[in-house]
Amino acid sequence: MEITTKKSRTSLKHGVIDCDFHQTLKSFADLKPYLPRVWWPRLSEPEATLPITIYKPVPLSRRDAAPGNGLPPGSDPEYAKVDALDRYNITKAVLTGSLLTVSAHNNPDYAAAVASAFNDYTFDHWLPTDDRWLASILIATQDPILAAKEIDRLGKHPRAVQVICTVSSREPFGQRRFYPIYEACVRNNLVLALHGGGEGDGINPPISAVGTPTTNFERHNILAIHHMSQLNSIVCEGVFERFPTLKVIFVEGGLAWVPHLMWRMDKNFLGMRKEVPWLKKKPSEYIIEHCRFTTQPIEEPNNEELVQMFRMMRAEKTVMFATDYPHWDNDTPTFVLHKLPEDLRSRVAYENAAELYQLKSRQLVKEGEFE
Amino acid sequence: MKYEVASVGEIEKGSCKILKIEGRSIGVYFDGENYHAIRNVCPHEQAELCKGKFTGTTLTSKPHEYIYGMEGEILVCPWHGWEFDVKTGLSLADPDRYRVKVYDVSVEDKKIMVHI
Repeated sequence: MEITTKKSRTSLKHGVIDCDFHQTLKSFADLKPYLPRVWWPRLSEPEATLPITIYKPVPLSRRDAAPGNGLPPGSDPEYAKVDALDRYNITKAVLTGSLLTVSAHNNPDYAAAVASAFNDYTFDHWLPTDDRWLASILIATQDPILAAKEIDRLGKHPRAVQVICTVSSREPFGQRRFYPIYEACVRNNLVLALHGGGEGDGINPPISAVGTPTTNFERHNILAIHHMSQLNSIVCEGVFERFPTLKVIFVEGGLAWVPHLMWRMDKNFLGMRKEVPWLKKKPSEYIIEHCRFTTQPIEEPNNEELVQMFRMMRAEKTVMFATDYPHWDNDTPTFVLHKLPEDLRSRVAYENAAELYQLKSRQLVKEGEFE
Repeated sequence: MKYEVASVGEIEKGSCKILKIEGRSIGVYFDGENYHAIRNVCPHEQAELCKGKFTGTTLTSKPHEYIYGMEGEILVCPWHGWEFDVKTGLSLADPDRYRVKVYDVSVEDKKIMVHI
């Protein structure tokens, strides 16, 4: 199908790396070739495929990003390339997928099988269509041993750069039962991405710490509380002391909560260090060294305040651009990057992500493209 | 200048005598072996530090490993719980940034002397 787009102009030397690009299936039936027969009935049974609780007044995926022929937005790589990558000069896009909420499902074996099938689908149907796609390995976190096996199964693929799961979980991710996942990430030199979603669904704790809100508006205002809980847990429990090369990114939580949490952790550390004697430096130092945060859904205060917030969280090291294409609350590179001063723009648009994902040593950039 | 603050035996092991020297409030603490003179002001929010607890603490360890040590060498502020090493005055959590002033102490003729 013919589509015409107007290219946006940017002053960015290396272009843009999009750290949150949601490819999806054309239909759940796409999983069948990769999924054991025993699980097939769940693909067509309403409410059985994924646990979902809350009504979304604006549909998850942008209507205008649909490739046509009744297919869902984000399901056609050829369309997505033109509609998003070409249009915004996106150099690389990290495929963050869909079905992330399998981690909220009550059946850990089904969840692990769906994650594997979805990964196979992505590696077969998306990666070969363009060099710009980088892959995430979707895991289900109910059983960390199974998750580690999935990471080992695909982790050496040259374009697999990270492992992804929902930021929501039954237990805080700093706890030791999740170590097999971190060991596998480190063993395969992969970043761990914690992406919003699954809060209050299925086996997970409620959307808010005081229960379940009535509307998606109320939910969306506090999306980041799960990101905060996990970042807090991972740092306090000493995960970065135990796994000194592990990097964790927080996706689709926005940014403004990060300075707040860093300050509060550093303040409390002075008085309660004795509870966490394994921490050898201030919590914020672990965060700046080991964690990255993606921009979408970016907060929209006046620009002076936004830039102050970027500075407060050391954005020149910690912040990476993301669209969340083709979801309803996506951000465009032009909208976000033009808010930033020159010294931050390229760091956020490209360099932080290129460094984190080691694009150069993985030989995923052309000669001289990124020095 | 040296100031006599107490006689040997007056300050019991594990306790602290707070007094003023040249207008400064100073705590003289006896760990059972040595005396320590510590400025009675927390560098954080100026609480009376020496009214806090003298105790031990958890030493640097691996994640989820607990090693208790420095018994009697730690002073914990009664307000926000900041820990200080009684020997050096250094904050345990952020020694590069925070310290409380400590003074030399000598015992001369069964008198405890603080050097200001």
